[in-house]
Amino acid sequence: MAASVFIGGWVAAGLTLFMFSFLYKDNPFFRFGEHLYVGISMGYIIIRIHYDVMIKSLYSPVTQEGKWWLVIPALLGLLVLARFIPKVSWLSRISFAVIVGFGSGVAIPRIISSNILQQVQGTLKPILNAGQRPFGMTQFNALLILAGVITVLIYFFFSIEHKGVIQISARIGIYFLMINFGAGFGYTVMARMSLLIGRFDDLILFASREYAYASLILLILVTLGLVLWERGRRPSS
Amino acid sequence: MRELAGKLLRLDRRAIFVLIALATLLPLLHPFGLPIRVSPEVKAVHDHIESLPAGSLFLLSLDFDPASKPELYPMAVALLKHAFKRDLRVIGMTLWVTGTGMAEKVVSGVAKEYGKRRGTDYAFLGYSPGGANVIINMGQDLTATFPTDYYGERTADLPALRGVRSLRQVNYVVSLAAGTPGVESWYVYGKEKYGFELGGGVTAVIAPGLYPFLNTGQINGLIGGLRGAAEYETLIGMKGKGVAGMDAQSATHFVIILLILLCNLFYFISPRTAVPRGSPEEVGR
Amino acid sequence: MTLFLRRTFPLIITFLFGVAFAIQYYVPHPVSEAALTEVSVWLRIILGFAMILGIASLGQVHYAKIRTGVAGWGYSVVVYVSMLATVGVGLWAGGQEEGTGFGWIYAYTLLALQGTMFAMLGFFVASAAFRAFRARSKEAAVLLLAAIVMMFGRVPLGEYLVPAAGPLAGWLLNVLNTAARRGIIIGISLGGIATSIKIIFGIERSYLGGRE
Repeated sequence: MAASVFIGGWVAAGLTLFMFSFLYKDNPFFRFGEHLYVGISMGYIIIRIHYDVMIKSLYSPVTQEGKWWLVIPALLGLLVLARFIPKVSWLSRISFAVIVGFGSGVAIPRIISSNILQQVQGTLKPILNAGQRPFGMTQFNALLILAGVITVLIYFFFSIEHKGVIQISARIGIYFLMINFGAGFGYTVMARMSLLIGRFDDLILFASREYAYASLILLILVTLGLVLWERGRRPSS
Repeated sequence: MRELAGKLLRLDRRAIFVLIALATLLPLLHPFGLPIRVSPEVKAVHDHIESLPAGSLFLLSLDFDPASKPELYPMAVALLKHAFKRDLRVIGMTLWVTGTGMAEKVVSGVAKEYGKRRGTDYAFLGYSPGGANVIINMGQDLTATFPTDYYGERTADLPALRGVRSLRQVNYVVSLAAGTPGVESWYVYGKEKYGFELGGGVTAVIAPGLYPFLNTGQINGLIGGLRGAAEYETLIGMKGKGVAGMDAQSATHFVIILLILLCNLFYFISPRTAVPRGSPEEVGR
Repeated sequence: MTLFLRRTFPLIITFLFGVAFAIQYYVPHPVSEAALTEVSVWLRIILGFAMILGIASLGQVHYAKIRTGVAGWGYSVVVYVSMLATVGVGLWAGGQEEGTGFGWIYAYTLLALQGTMFAMLGFFVASAAFRAFRARSKEAAVLLLAAIVMMFGRVPLGEYLVPAAGPLAGWLLNVLNTAARRGIIIGISLGGIATSIKIIFGIERSYLGGRE
């Protein structure tokens, strides 16, 4: 095994355990790991911006391909940074106006098409085609979806008073929403457990003989560290 | 009994942490290997890749960061293995800045396993900022969006990208996404106008939100969470991290279900003091 | 003049770009397509600069902590040292990660730290499930039931014990969940379009920031 991989295993296992120590309580190991994460992330993003944006998307096209007009977005980009100078921070509004104006403009027709028209079409089409086949599970599900969409939209329509038929529809809509939230919660639990499984998988790998039982040794050291830290705190607290 | 129930409701949360840790660790160390049923939405992605002739263009956008690696990296490995086995031309990229390293590692790593040559059989474009703007740009002119690939080679000269002017020439796009920009961005700003077929692989957190798009056919298939990755691995006959994690997933889910049921049981039988609903005393100490 | 530049000019820009690119979608003329291509390139460059904003803000916060010597300022030193070290190694590696020190930092520190930070949520979700997830009302009971069906039916052990659990969870996702989610998507999209129109017409100005 390469030395860099071996050392990397020890470092990864150690940092993982530092972060997990938060489960006991907030402590210096966790704080160190947390701030290290912030610093390394910032450094990584700076490098990616430098190479993938400044050099690949700006410097190379301007100097090697003669696309001099890209100096205009570069200037607009610099204006964004004017936000840090209070006297001229208003200049950044020009850049944000371009970003927000373009973003809003491109979004409107695309969202109307994807999220509204196609979704409505997808709801109504199975109903309109239902008469062509004998009524079965597919048709039942299509009706259920239609009922769900309408009742949920009625629930969110707060401009009219929820009375009578509207109130009944809104209450049905709430139950559909509860099922959606329940499904979301169940899947969120699945996601969080999967992340945990991933980290434990790595810790098990780093506990193997190839890595000289890194996870186990570091677990003992971190635990010892926490005990000493607690003892050090007690007289003052 | 009621007093005991009340006491148990106030159990130190660290005891629950130990329970979850054991439920995760023990099945990983001693797996029981139950069969995995494949869902139609995962099979749809698999079948579409199966249907593509050799040499077709497959774009895999790895739109996630290290936080979602356990769920989406196994999906990426399985999809790339399938694509390379089918001799598809693979284009890899990412819309998430901190996912660049992982994306490069998985594409080049799996390609090496199958003896695929960089630039000829596959291309890795790297990262570009802008999310939806990158997709729009690629839809208009792909090589202008990425004039060079991640390694500094001119994309216009790469054999892997021969004949590709924009996303319209791509046969299949799969976005493995942990949020925005992700699958939704690819169909709103991409498929909507440029007409390529789109599949999705997402974290379990956002998977339920994409079923309406699956229902309308806006995405042709959906791989959701580690379970989805396990299903895909089963379809291609591979035993990867997805399948390996399923036993621990089962155990932890059952522990959570048990905790919810116990919580409700203890709540209903414990003595009710006049504690207002939603007050700090009621919700976790 | 200053007031025009500070307040009105940005609103005019928003209006022009917003209307132009909303209409552009329906105009397939080559000039219209070229304009979309070019401006989307511009946006990518501007947004790259905007990312520096976030980094600089964070740097400012930690610098202030070091300068004023507040409790925990030593950790802010950790932020700066690790950031500068990463940048130094990254520049030395030319931004390449394969087989370099920069790649090592990414693979063995960033992956571990960020992965673990989010993995801890698994413990907290379990703790929350025990302490707070109570069926206090009919609606909460429905939510709870849907969650349990999902957690049971989407794992191999659940499907093994109760074979119908898998198809039931699938039906819940594909029908009931789809219905509710579709309603939410349509509602959010309508709201989003309304907000976009308000921004383009200068009714909504919060994105400009400041009081002027």
